[in-house]
Amino acid sequence: MFGVLDILNLAHAAIFMLAAFVCLSVVLAGYPLIAGLLAAIVAAGLVGVILDRVAFAPLRRRNAGTLVPLISSIGFAMIIEAIARGIYGVNDHQFPSLVRQAPPITLGPVTFTLFDVAILAASIVLMVALAYVMRATKLGREIRAVADDRMAAALLGIDIDRTIALTFFIASALGGAAGVLAGLQYNSVVFDMGGRIELKGLAVIILGGMGSITGAVIGGFILGITETLAVAFISSSWRDAIAFGVMFLILIARPAGLLGRRALRTA
Amino acid sequence: MLKTAAFIGAFLLFATPTFGAGKSVKAGVVADVTGGAAVYGVSQKNAYVLAMDDMKSGIINTGGTTLTFDVGDNATDPNQAANLFGRFTTDGSAIILGPTLSAEAFKAQPIAVRANIPVLATSNTAPGITRQGPCVFRDALSEEQVVPATVSKTYAAWKYKTAAIIYGDDNAFTKTDFTVFSDELKKRGVNIVDVETYHTKDVDFQAQLTKIKAAKPDVLVLGSLFDEATKIISQAGTLGLRVHMVGGNGLNSTKMVDAAGQGAVGAVVGAAWFIDNSYSGNKAFVARYKKAFGALPDQFAAQSYAAAQVVAQLVRSGASTPGEMCDGLRNLKIAQTVLGPIAFDANRDIRSAPVILKIVPGGFAYF
Repeated sequence: MFGVLDILNLAHAAIFMLAAFVCLSVVLAGYPLIAGLLAAIVAAGLVGVILDRVAFAPLRRRNAGTLVPLISSIGFAMIIEAIARGIYGVNDHQFPSLVRQAPPITLGPVTFTLFDVAILAASIVLMVALAYVMRATKLGREIRAVADDRMAAALLGIDIDRTIALTFFIASALGGAAGVLAGLQYNSVVFDMGGRIELKGLAVIILGGMGSITGAVIGGFILGITETLAVAFISSSWRDAIAFGVMFLILIARPAGLLGRRALRTA
Repeated sequence: MLKTAAFIGAFLLFATPTFGAGKSVKAGVVADVTGGAAVYGVSQKNAYVLAMDDMKSGIINTGGTTLTFDVGDNATDPNQAANLFGRFTTDGSAIILGPTLSAEAFKAQPIAVRANIPVLATSNTAPGITRQGPCVFRDALSEEQVVPATVSKTYAAWKYKTAAIIYGDDNAFTKTDFTVFSDELKKRGVNIVDVETYHTKDVDFQAQLTKIKAAKPDVLVLGSLFDEATKIISQAGTLGLRVHMVGGNGLNSTKMVDAAGQGAVGAVVGAAWFIDNSYSGNKAFVARYKKAFGALPDQFAAQSYAAAQVVAQLVRSGASTPGEMCDGLRNLKIAQTVLGPIAFDANRDIRSAPVILKIVPGGFAYF
């Protein structure tokens, strides 16, 4: 959303966490994991729409710029975290062992589990689906139109508010899916798990380039791979410094990000 | 005239109640009942609840004085711990027990020191805790007191030549584990082939563990608290890292196998208390705890209960003000507790011998 619509939403991490808890609750109630995942995605999307209606749309109507909605989203995030904390407490929650048990597979020097494969596959499917929606559907065209030039889009009859609300739905649903996958991968669901990814998510968007979803994906891979290689070949103590240092260097070389569109000023 | 009467009346009302029976003493307790360290804090709170029940039923004798433990939850937040300490220095508490983690202690205990309220720490095992003030005591063996015995016994049994250490680089307790374990290993000529770090609340240790696996250590040392330790052990199992594991006080929870899986079985921990010890009153304490809370007590519960026993002994001998509590602790010859007979040394640390245990499903056994 930041990359495409210039809307900086800092409640994304909270929705990420909320979705993980929704999935956990569904699974603990005895339903299969897939039901939990779907429920989490839908719940996240809906909360995203509520976020837009409550925290962003009213400020948009008053031409509040980008900083005020940012603060508003932080407030919304705090409310979500407080609700999660109130319901689930502050402790780390785990998925039942039936869900997380996956025997390791070793291919040469690499060891992984079917779970890792499933998460990777799910992530790829979601990214491809997002790219498809953005490129080949009417909604995607409308979102890109609003991103390019809000005024022109409105003049062309596109319902700006509805388009933005749908963008929030999609973005939050994807964030929710990520939350579920992250919760499953590390078997840890806790009210402040969003904090882990918040800063990195933002950094990845900037690294990848504003306006480019592909860039963000590439940026994400670069960050993850750099972090892991830093641990493997240098030192785990320097992991964060190296990862962000590399990103810093990339941004110096390409200030608009890897695949960012440079802002065009036309007469 | 009226003013004088009012003044005298107020004075009598608020004067410390040292006139005859119906005396009451309050002890403040700060524990991580919720949050990352709740696995330790809940045990501690349970111990004080049990201690108060035992005082009501006469199992703990306070000589007729009512002793209450007011348990405050700082939710594994050092700032909250400091706030609670602040509150206890102004509400008439004669002594403060806790907080749970060393990192919290360094932030909170100086507040009690400045207010001249004595502190009895029951689970802070980093060095320097008791050096913070002349009335800071602890009944928890420090890592410096336990780790040498842990390394000594495991070395004798396993004769390892190489070791790897993984520890949290942003927490006082886990950093202490790293320092103390490395020193002890080096003293025995063990080659430390890899050192990896992580941050508190990290959940992915696979990169570090892959590197450790490649270094082929004979033993893996965990300088970790519970949440991270369970994930490290579980992920080590998934990666096929089969190695002897040794840890500090953070692994001292009966919930290890439940949370970390079978990989935790066999891990060795140095401890201050063994559940089956036959010190006076210990087995009965274990039985009462199990009945009251549906689970066996762990070391954190035992150390807190022992602290309650010590405070009760001081109260029985007449201590009720902070000054008297501090003197009482300083002059304590011996206290019979579930940890065994304990006393404090010149540094205000507990004088007691560690036990080296290994993790088994549901709890611990002698190593």
